[in-house]
Amino acid sequence: MSFERIKPHLPWITLLVLVLVVGAADSNFLRPSNLISMAADIVPLFIMALGMTFAIYIGGIDLSAQSVANMTTVVATIALPTFGIGAALICILAGVVLGGVSGFVTTRLFVPSFISTLAVGGIAFSAAQYMSGQRALFMDASLRDSTFGWMTGSLAGIPSELFIAAALVLGAWFLQSRTTFGRALKAVGAGEPAAVASGLNVNRIKIMAFALSGGLAAIAGLLFAVKLSGGSPTLANGFLLPAIVAVLVGGTPLTGGVGGVINTLIGTLIVAVIRSSMLYFEVDATQQQMVFGLILIVAIALTIDRTKLRVVK
Amino acid sequence: MSNVLTRDVLIKWAPLIVLLVLVLFFTAMEPRFFSLRNFARIGISSAPALMVAIGVTFIIIMGSIDLSMEGTVSVCAVVFAFAFIALGGTLASWAWLAIPLALLVGGAIGLVNGLVHVLLKIPSFMASLAMGFVGTGFALLLTGGDRIRVEDDLFRSLLTERWFGFPIMCYVALLFLLIAWFIQSRTTLGRNFYAVGGGEELAHASGLNVNRVRIMGFALAGVFYAVGALLAVGRIGIAETATGSNFMFVSITSVVVGGTALWGGIGGVWNTLIGVLIVNVINNGMVVIGLPGYVQDGVLGILVIAAVVLSTDRKSVTFVK
Repeated sequence: MSFERIKPHLPWITLLVLVLVVGAADSNFLRPSNLISMAADIVPLFIMALGMTFAIYIGGIDLSAQSVANMTTVVATIALPTFGIGAALICILAGVVLGGVSGFVTTRLFVPSFISTLAVGGIAFSAAQYMSGQRALFMDASLRDSTFGWMTGSLAGIPSELFIAAALVLGAWFLQSRTTFGRALKAVGAGEPAAVASGLNVNRIKIMAFALSGGLAAIAGLLFAVKLSGGSPTLANGFLLPAIVAVLVGGTPLTGGVGGVINTLIGTLIVAVIRSSMLYFEVDATQQQMVFGLILIVAIALTIDRTKLRVVK
Repeated sequence: MSNVLTRDVLIKWAPLIVLLVLVLFFTAMEPRFFSLRNFARIGISSAPALMVAIGVTFIIIMGSIDLSMEGTVSVCAVVFAFAFIALGGTLASWAWLAIPLALLVGGAIGLVNGLVHVLLKIPSFMASLAMGFVGTGFALLLTGGDRIRVEDDLFRSLLTERWFGFPIMCYVALLFLLIAWFIQSRTTLGRNFYAVGGGEELAHASGLNVNRVRIMGFALAGVFYAVGALLAVGRIGIAETATGSNFMFVSITSVVVGGTALWGGIGGVWNTLIGVLIVNVINNGMVVIGLPGYVQDGVLGILVIAAVVLSTDRKSVTFVK
């Protein structure tokens, strides 16, 4: 067995080993109620990572996801009293538009995605500060419960967040593997010049991928706002790193073309297990960022397809 | 006349023209903008940013990018403050050793950055972004979230002592700008940065050890981040995890707005000076004419996109990721 043959299976093997190790160290960890609450806690992050998957799948990156989610928490809180459930639509629309702008700037104006998304993230951050008046805003509790209560409730003992996550991952999986758009995404990720040569409208596909990433980041922000019952321009800070880590440890390489949404599901679970295991092993919470930074480097180094990079810049 | 105003000439002088137009605009909007006091204010906010931006200029000239500055600046600032206090707490004692120590730490972080990027063959934006996260996390680990005060009068004279209306930190920044200019134009390393940025394969074919140049570039950038960290601590008298925050966006915007192309090979430290001044004049001017400070990030975002678009020769680029 060569390493290249094991590589596609590495993510779920890692997940299994991690779960067993942590489970052996702490028997409470494997209790179903603990596993379920752990999974429910990670849902906003998972949704953001799901969006990020599309950006990375085509060989780009979306560094604006966190700012978009931040902005959505503010938008959701402000729009809720006037628009009710329509606030959700406004949020998603805002995310899709911002993602679309990133895509447009990347493809039509030839600005590398890590710069264009950084810039769009700056714009979103300014917008969030403007709208919130640089304060933390709070949702009216009864209004929140009547409009978005279904997001945070539970059905048959299972938190509804998990159903939302399941619906989104099914939708994303369908889009990725059962539609022409999904095939086109893979073509672009596998080799852009070849995709252009075979007549695909690559620019449109890439813009749509970034729009999807923005839209999903917005949903993540919306869910987060509902969970915490409020919004602020910095509420979702700290999401960007674990979201990128989740995509990469799941096995979607930075060079794109392989992996996909199911990989990100596994990747997010790995992140969740690492996070809670750090609690059990009493690693200080302040060290999380350092640990995830190091994991990120290892994950990129293991997954990246170097044959695609003629020169590593 | 027509060949005087070619695209190249325009691109070369555009940043300076933009800077002058901005100064005239803000002066027209609010005459108080054009005063020594206010220019000193712009100088104070520019000095640390200039150091960080010069560091990343070298990297961008090579055609790579470094997004680790927030973490590096925080770690250098915190290490400096701890060492400074442990060694006596005033520049007049052995505590001056904290300054070379901070520069060393900056260089070491840059070195690790370069090694991760080159040896593991990871694109620099991601290697450095990850290292930046590690750096911020490490700074948080060192401080435990606390702020460390550096209250030595001698060290704070960076800000308090003024010559011709400008605090000493502006002159320190100017000195390091000249050093950077010397490295860029008078040393082999400086020329090699341009060689790598102008065409890596050509540079490699002509016998240049490209990997070594890259690693040294990142280490050099780290040293300049450390200088930026020292000036940032000198400015507010506090070292904390958040010392480095916002440097990434501001410095990259400055470099690109100054006319150093993201594709490498073009531009230099003087461009970066103009870029840093443009960014800080905008920030300062917006406050002076009464706009809220939070518009900054949005304006910078639009600025960076515009600058990259203007500096890109569309004919030579087939696609970007």
